[in-house]
Amino acid sequence: MIRLLFTAALFMWSTAHAEVPSLAAQIQALLAKPATLCGHFEQTKNLSGMKKPLLSNGRFCVVNGKGVLWRTLQPFPSTLRLTRDEIVNFQGDRVAMRLDAGKEPTVRMINSVLFALLSGDLSGLDALFVVEGKVSGSSWHVALTARQPGLAKAIGAISLDGAAYVNTIHMDEASGDKTTIQFSSIQTGDAALQPAEAAMF
Amino acid sequence: MKNHLAALWLLVVCVLLGHNAWLWLGQRITPDTDIMALLPVQQRDPVLQLSFNHMVDAAQQRVIVLIGAANWSDAKRAADAYSSVLAGRPEVLTAAVVTDQTQQDWLALFQQHSLVLMTSAAQKQVQQESEKFWADTALRQLYSPFSGPHLGAWRDDPYGLFAGWVQERAQETPVRPRDGYLSVSTADGALQYVLLSLTVRAPVFGMSTQRTVTALLDQAHAQTLKAVPKADIVTAGVVLHAAAAGLQATGEIWTIGLGSLLGMILLMWITFHTFKPIALILLSIAIGSLGSLSVCWLLFGHIHLLTLVFGASLIGVAQDYGIFFLAHRLYASAQLSSAGLLKRLLPSLALTLVAAVIGYMGLAFTPFPGLRNMAVFSAIGLIFAWLTVVCWFPQLVNPTSLKSGRAVQLYETSLQRWPVWRNTPVAWLALLIVGGITVTGIARLNANDDIRLLQNSPRQLIRDQISMSRLLDAPTPVQFYLVRADSEQQLLEREETLKLNLDVLIEQKKLSGYQAVSNWVPSARTQQLRVQLIHQKLLNAPLQDVSQQIGAEPDWVAQTRLHLEQFGSMLTVDQFLAAPAGEPWRHLWLGKTVNGYASIVALRGLAQKDIEAVRHAGNGQSGVQWVDKVAEISGVLGQYRLYMGWVVVCSTLVIFGLLSLRYGRSAWRVLLPSVLASLMTLALLGLTSQPVQLFHVLAFMLLLGVGIDYGIFMQETVSTNVAPAWMATGLSAADTLLSFGLLALSKTPALQAFGLTMLSGITLVWLTVPLFRKAASHGNN
Repeated sequence: MIRLLFTAALFMWSTAHAEVPSLAAQIQALLAKPATLCGHFEQTKNLSGMKKPLLSNGRFCVVNGKGVLWRTLQPFPSTLRLTRDEIVNFQGDRVAMRLDAGKEPTVRMINSVLFALLSGDLSGLDALFVVEGKVSGSSWHVALTARQPGLAKAIGAISLDGAAYVNTIHMDEASGDKTTIQFSSIQTGDAALQPAEAAMF
Repeated sequence: MKNHLAALWLLVVCVLLGHNAWLWLGQRITPDTDIMALLPVQQRDPVLQLSFNHMVDAAQQRVIVLIGAANWSDAKRAADAYSSVLAGRPEVLTAAVVTDQTQQDWLALFQQHSLVLMTSAAQKQVQQESEKFWADTALRQLYSPFSGPHLGAWRDDPYGLFAGWVQERAQETPVRPRDGYLSVSTADGALQYVLLSLTVRAPVFGMSTQRTVTALLDQAHAQTLKAVPKADIVTAGVVLHAAAAGLQATGEIWTIGLGSLLGMILLMWITFHTFKPIALILLSIAIGSLGSLSVCWLLFGHIHLLTLVFGASLIGVAQDYGIFFLAHRLYASAQLSSAGLLKRLLPSLALTLVAAVIGYMGLAFTPFPGLRNMAVFSAIGLIFAWLTVVCWFPQLVNPTSLKSGRAVQLYETSLQRWPVWRNTPVAWLALLIVGGITVTGIARLNANDDIRLLQNSPRQLIRDQISMSRLLDAPTPVQFYLVRADSEQQLLEREETLKLNLDVLIEQKKLSGYQAVSNWVPSARTQQLRVQLIHQKLLNAPLQDVSQQIGAEPDWVAQTRLHLEQFGSMLTVDQFLAAPAGEPWRHLWLGKTVNGYASIVALRGLAQKDIEAVRHAGNGQSGVQWVDKVAEISGVLGQYRLYMGWVVVCSTLVIFGLLSLRYGRSAWRVLLPSVLASLMTLALLGLTSQPVQLFHVLAFMLLLGVGIDYGIFMQETVSTNVAPAWMATGLSAADTLLSFGLLALSKTPALQAFGLTMLSGITLVWLTVPLFRKAASHGNN
């Protein structure tokens, strides 16, 4: 997902439109919007040039005002932490990658979009995407299309399903790679964070 | 005979009037304000010159405006308000357009060559890290949805090397396209700015262009603040500095010229109690100025604004001839006709003119076009004013038309109490003390030729400049590396070697980065090395490893290798420069020149204090040259400070020879006051820790001319009555002080240095000149 956003952020910021569709407001009303949100994820990737899907899973946390923690546990442990001013990737204790906002100004924008995607806050995505979808009862489905043609070509399509929380994120990249992430075992409140996770922020 | 001369001169003056009327009213000439026109035209290395043109042309016509607000939507709204004002005047300023097309095309070229594009750090990693490391890296990229920047499909760039390179390139500038704008933000993200890149449509050194541009920018500024009151607007561009300098000089012409004129009128009135002498002297000066303008225009085809500023001070010298004549007329007996008086005064008048012209002509021997302009302007002005006095004054001034007032008598008697130099112990003691102080002062002199001392832009402009360079982290256009080679490939290789040294400086935080075409297009040697490395280390074992771990199909490794190999073709400079992505960097590539190939490596984040360390980064590397335009110009100013110093010394010797012809062994009495005043003024500069620069030396040159006038005045009338000479000296010195004293008030540092030197020098000459008059004429002294 982040690579799509990088494609977007580095060179192809889209044209923004001011109006927030009422759909976002409806979904907003359905969302629980807790201050802290943790859960389990299952990711399925279908890569171009490879028939077999790649599976991975782990835990994720979204903490309002702090950022996002993404811990892949299987098959290879790897932790990613996104805060306001940087993106850090840990392989165990080793920092495999670090991007800071001072050097790369788009870091802040990427983090805010990721935060919006994981928390389902569609108004935060409006600058980059046309948001279309429907609400049926307490659940909803939206499709995101990049506003800028160049960006749309690079990213392809993103769709989200959810109710009180985001349940599934599905991405169809123009390159042919497809990714589906399913969320489960959602916990909220301060207790949702495991001690090791809390220590990361 | 005299009448013929006067009539002839009238004819000349009529021609001058006609020519001037044609110039100002018909041709509508305007003075130049280009500061560069004041700098020497030299036989230069054409490639070096070209490189500087490349860097400056990229910057000179541009105005960069940053419009910021606490949030992005306000910033955009403010920028729209700003742009809407500019849009109404496309003939003045045009804004660069951010198109979707260029953004789309940006990556296309590089993706075709993604295998050979990686950062030098990544290249080192490929060389050093194990095959296991790369398998892990690929798997990490594969599984984690947030594995780092990535472009295209995973299998296009499984190790993320190309993505890392793109990211490094993107970081060459903090400016990002966003919503069809260019955006940049403060390091803490508190303010978001829209960047507008504007091009001035007319040459920025024309005064009318400067006025139009600044007025339009001011209007846009006001409009923006109306739309978004809290908007932060930062503006920078050469045109703004040029406009500020032009405005200042124009203002100073008025204050200095007018002040000088008013002071003079007042003094004349106190002395002569009629307006006729004032009118006469103004007439001589006016004709002098008209003559200067005409001749300068005919010779050079243009007039520099600073020439006019300098010319304004010329009033102080051009008046001497008229004053000398009128002062003597005041004291001469009514029986002596004015023509007869002139005949008597002619030798000394001629001597003062020759001495002054020698002083000014020294300027003409410099290679500074602006100074030559001033030399001709001054010399011609003096000659024309002098001719007006000689041809017309005897006709215009009757023996009885002048009378003196009380102030004159008071001043006159002051001379009787003035000491005269004698060979006494007290005099020698006084000389010893003064000499001691002078030597101490001169010993403490130091020089500073930094051209930035001559620049005096308004504080707001400098503040804007500083915050802009902090926000944009743009390279300086005046300090960079020029690289030369016999072939394009050698050039890229040399850039790469230089960059290795610069990388060390970046680690030491002496630089924040560099811009070079080889950042984008590695040399063929490097590209080949990378393809080799990738084949060796990345296309076999790690892929096998990944394939095993993810349980891919049997032919997956071969397929993926084949897929990657198609991105391994060489990227060339021509391809890059022709592509939209190359557009912002074309100015760095001089390409084929008169001898070989050349390019520029530009430096970002270079602080003044680190120049010494950075300039040696290319030492010992052939074809690499450090270019520092600031230091170069400062060096030239320094050279000419020394050179002009010698001109002053030589002029003094030449004038001494000239004076010896007339005064024989008494010539020292004429010259010594000027020499002493100059030395004491130098000492004063030393004692007040003012570094000497070229403009001080220029003032010494003028001081010499004026001081010798006074010396001649005082010597010439020694046989009759010293009062008219003392009167002429006093009037002239007071006027000169007024005009140059006002120059010391100038905000232009160069003129201020000039003015302060004159202020001290003239005062000292005035005070010392009576010390060395011949004592014989006044028995009581």
